[in-house]
Amino acid sequence: MPSKIGVVGDKESVLAFKMLGFSVFFASEAKETRRLIDSLADKDYGVIYLTEQLAELVPETITRYDAKMKPAIILIPNHAGSRGIGKKRVQQNVEKAVGQNIL
Amino acid sequence: MSKGTIVSVSGPLVTAKGMQTANIQDICRVGKLGLIGEIIEMRDDVASIQVYEETSMVGPGEEVETTGEALSVELAPGMISQMFDGIQRPLDEFMRKTDSNFLERGMTIEPLNRSTKWEFTPSVVEGTEVAEGDIVGIVQETNVIEHRIMVPHGVKGTIKSIATGSFTINETIYVLETENGDKEFTMMQKWPVRRGRPIKRKLNPVEPLITGQRVIDTLFPVAKGGAAAVPGPFGAGKTVVQHQIAKWADVDLVVYVGCGERGNEMTDVINEFPELIDPNTGESIMARTVLIANTSNMPVAAREASIYTGITIAEYFRDMGYSVAVMADSTSRWAEALREMSGRLEEMPGDEGYPAYLGSRLAEYYERAGMVETLGSSGRKGSITAIGAVSPPGGDTSEPVTQNTLRVAKVFWGLDSSLAQRRHFPSINWLNSYSLYSNEMNEFVGKKLDVDWNTMVTRTKALLQDESELQEIVRLVGVESLSERDRLKLVVARMIREDFLQQNAFDDVDTYTSREKQYEMLHTILTFEDQAARAMELGAYFDEITKGTEAVVERIGRMKFIPEEELTKIKGIRDQSEKDIQTVLEKGGVESDA
Repeated sequence: MPSKIGVVGDKESVLAFKMLGFSVFFASEAKETRRLIDSLADKDYGVIYLTEQLAELVPETITRYDAKMKPAIILIPNHAGSRGIGKKRVQQNVEKAVGQNIL
Repeated sequence: MSKGTIVSVSGPLVTAKGMQTANIQDICRVGKLGLIGEIIEMRDDVASIQVYEETSMVGPGEEVETTGEALSVELAPGMISQMFDGIQRPLDEFMRKTDSNFLERGMTIEPLNRSTKWEFTPSVVEGTEVAEGDIVGIVQETNVIEHRIMVPHGVKGTIKSIATGSFTINETIYVLETENGDKEFTMMQKWPVRRGRPIKRKLNPVEPLITGQRVIDTLFPVAKGGAAAVPGPFGAGKTVVQHQIAKWADVDLVVYVGCGERGNEMTDVINEFPELIDPNTGESIMARTVLIANTSNMPVAAREASIYTGITIAEYFRDMGYSVAVMADSTSRWAEALREMSGRLEEMPGDEGYPAYLGSRLAEYYERAGMVETLGSSGRKGSITAIGAVSPPGGDTSEPVTQNTLRVAKVFWGLDSSLAQRRHFPSINWLNSYSLYSNEMNEFVGKKLDVDWNTMVTRTKALLQDESELQEIVRLVGVESLSERDRLKLVVARMIREDFLQQNAFDDVDTYTSREKQYEMLHTILTFEDQAARAMELGAYFDEITKGTEAVVERIGRMKFIPEEELTKIKGIRDQSEKDIQTVLEKGGVESDA
């Protein structure tokens, strides 16, 4: 079953993803981000890349999709650099999956 | 009268020979003590007599005398607020006469007081043609019941004279000129209990019986003139349900038959009822109640008669044009009495030892309920609603008494011990109970209140049904796996269960809920669901809604304690819930559909 990939973030950071054929959406504050993610989840998006800066503003929205298969919300750093929370989430998920942090 | 001799005595069953002239169902005086008994079987000249009193110290060789009359009740002013035993002996008079707290044997007591004078007002004049069932005058028996004196069955004629003033029940009050000469009549009639009193025709029940109990009135209504069964294991609250209906039902008269249950339950009735005020008349509830008591330590054979005595009295008041409710608590004890007699008669036992005719006897009883047009030229309408408790052993409703009852009763209020253990009262299980009157009654209520009541009720039932399915998923994989919409459903279903169906019989306000308040309450809960569901569509999260509506949910929970006079407060709750949900939406970033 094909799904689409979406990218949500500030313009400077995510515009480049357009070249890869991803759908790119711009947001800069909490309400906008939340509405975007909810509407993408409703449509056919399987993976949503979200910048860490925005993710920090909408923690409830992210935990809401944690237990669901689709969409997978993947945190990415933006042009201002990484905050480390994206990596931490990956490590947490690995720990949940295999029982130990093997990374 | 013919006299026989006792051949054998086996508990309440006495056989006597030499009874050639006696007929089945005749009342006999048995032995030296003169115990009251009824012939239930005849073979040649040997009669089997079920004795309505204790038979110890009665032995073969003693005499039996038949009276040639069937077991009858006296119907006249003086019955209301009284407590009778199974064969219509007034228990307070009994105690005065015997000076004992227990039933002394061989006593003859007039069922109704012969010395009380009743103020009789005629409603017909001399020269009027009257026939059976016509009202000739009235006696104001209590503040709420006007006792209408009717021409007895099978009599027709012209009134020759009719009196006005105070009379006892065996003084002549009118004389009829009939085909066979003049006949004198008193206020009293007699009627054999095993025969239903005749009617003109049966009508379809159309009006619901308002009991003030939310789970009954909303989900499983019974019609005036219907029959309902309340089966439930011990301690599930059968007696409380019966008491609640006896207290609050919008009927003119209640006949409460305490049949084989604890004596203290009847004591409760005697202690509580006089203090309670009927919301429909503003008078004491005792002023519209007749009690028949055959508690568990009273003779078994009279238990069988008590049910018939009760329904015959009810039929008499129905014939006056009243709506009457008969409560029988419990019909299982009555069936066990049948079983005991059947066993002693050595009849072939059916299921679980009950006699093969159990089903037909039960049907006979419940079929005497109904909405009818009475005899008499004025075309009165009266109804009997029969509500019978059933105590299936172990709470297993597949036993014969429950099954046979369900075959004739159209309403089933199944009490559930697991609900009772969770302190959910009345513990009527909403998943397996049913009412076959539901549609007609909901239409009726909908028209009265001018709302789509039927849809509301159907939606409520569907919600409760969905809840039980969702609960299974929750038990297996946890509440997180449910969609947000389903989680809202669980919340609303819990509201319906805890804030609507649960009702405290011992709280002054909560014990009775009018039809209007029931509507307001249910409407508030369903509106809350609509508003919350809409908010979700607009993007609000379930957690946000629960957090934002905590206060309003709390108020919905206390809505049942809002007195009847302050129903506008419930509307206030709906306004608040709308406001609160709007606030949630604004916080969540979605202002409105626009």
